[in-house]
Amino acid sequence: MSARLDLLLNAVFHPVVAIAGVVLMVLGAIQLRSAPRLKTPLTPLSWLVSVAVALLVLLFPPSPSFSDLAANRSEILPEAPRLSFFLPPEQRTLTEWVRLLRSQPDPDLHAGDPVRISGFVLQRPGMQPQLARLTVRCCLADATPAGLPIEWPANADPKPDEWLSIEGTMTTQTKDGLLINVVKPRTIQSIPRPERPLEP
Amino acid sequence: MTRFATGWAIFQGLLIEALPFLLLGVSIAGLARWLVPQSTWIKRLPRHPLLAPVVGALLGFALPACECGNVPVARRLLASGAPLGTGFGFLFAAPVLNPIVLASTWAAFPDKTWLLWGRPIGAFLIAIALSALLGLLPESRLLASALLEERRLSQPLSRVGLLERRSGLVGVDFNASERRLEEVPLRPAELLQHSTREFLSLLTLLVFGCALAAAVQTWLPRSWLLALGSGPTVSVLALMLLALVVSVCSSVDAFLALGFAAQVTPGALLAFLLLGPVVDLKLAGLFTVLLSTRAIAITAVAASLLVLLIGQWVNLVLL
Repeated sequence: MSARLDLLLNAVFHPVVAIAGVVLMVLGAIQLRSAPRLKTPLTPLSWLVSVAVALLVLLFPPSPSFSDLAANRSEILPEAPRLSFFLPPEQRTLTEWVRLLRSQPDPDLHAGDPVRISGFVLQRPGMQPQLARLTVRCCLADATPAGLPIEWPANADPKPDEWLSIEGTMTTQTKDGLLINVVKPRTIQSIPRPERPLEP
Repeated sequence: MTRFATGWAIFQGLLIEALPFLLLGVSIAGLARWLVPQSTWIKRLPRHPLLAPVVGALLGFALPACECGNVPVARRLLASGAPLGTGFGFLFAAPVLNPIVLASTWAAFPDKTWLLWGRPIGAFLIAIALSALLGLLPESRLLASALLEERRLSQPLSRVGLLERRSGLVGVDFNASERRLEEVPLRPAELLQHSTREFLSLLTLLVFGCALAAAVQTWLPRSWLLALGSGPTVSVLALMLLALVVSVCSSVDAFLALGFAAQVTPGALLAFLLLGPVVDLKLAGLFTVLLSTRAIAITAVAASLLVLLIGQWVNLVLL
């Protein structure tokens, strides 16, 4: 159950939701016990809808396509929860890299830094696939993608939503006349989706 | 198919996020019904058209709940005979004027003092203006019919006759019967039943609202709305539309706004934070237990106009 929550909500809200869930179950149990003595019946529609939704939510776990979701969102990230540019380069996560690159406009500053990141393949229509992560403040409704361009080797075939772990170096490339940072991978490994795919 | 799976996930996220707050609101309403006898302090609330909404708005500090949570509490207030102005003041202002939301706004924008003041003051003004506007309509055209009947039960006979009330005791000294009604406290079992019924019917409306919001979020490209972020009026309108569509709880919408605060004008940002708690797709469904359809439409239009004006003034001053 908490694995599903990890897919939907920011970790901060898990305890709140858990408490609410427990309270609801306790209330439901009390109601069931006193059902024979029920004087006024509940309106059928609200009963039906609530039970239907509860069953659907339990039976059909969320399996969002992160790539699809991210392709539809703007890329403006919220502020970082902690200072990241004091970390050595190989310890920076993907989101930290993205924030760093956006805050420091000179691409040459980071050329040559080692990179060790993991994320899902984000395919935006008409663009090269990137490696990305989703950051949330509240829940999936406000998830914002943070993506890094990758110089995929010729034999690589990144599929959208595939989770990969990439080790390599940060390089620069000229694209459309602009100098941008691109990750040149040394190793690309397929990984299972991590337990907490949504980052704060 | 993947689009549908994503939409289903967003729907679940919104619903599960809102559930604890709905539960909290229904619990607070239930507590209020239990601890406070039907008529004592509620009937002593001021009826003055300006003072009533102010008092209602300030009640938000005593009963913190986000916008889905405060609908059952507002319903309880109105059903117990509180003045209309107080009920509406609470309904429209409490989602912002409560410690949780103010704290989250401060956590998201600690450096924007104009926003930290602007949000509560704006919510106050909107609540007062809306309750003044809605007060122009007679009660029978304003409130949902079930609420109207419940409310009439707690109003004195001098104001609402027996025929309108559709119930009551004929041939009995009214004062004596009213006192007897007041003295009977609710048993916990009945209270639980009441609250459960209220929770389930509100949950149904929440489900429809979340489904609609998730559908629009999945199939409408957000980049359309945000591309309009720079014009002073167009940005306000775009973010108002976003607030209507995104429908997240007012206790967390400050964090959502943080995501695009850098790209939009200040007025647009304030408009997003003011309109969301008052009216959005999710709330529109919840309001049907409180207001008639005409009143909901008036609320939506008037609130949007007010927020548009406030947003433009802020842009005029700050840009």
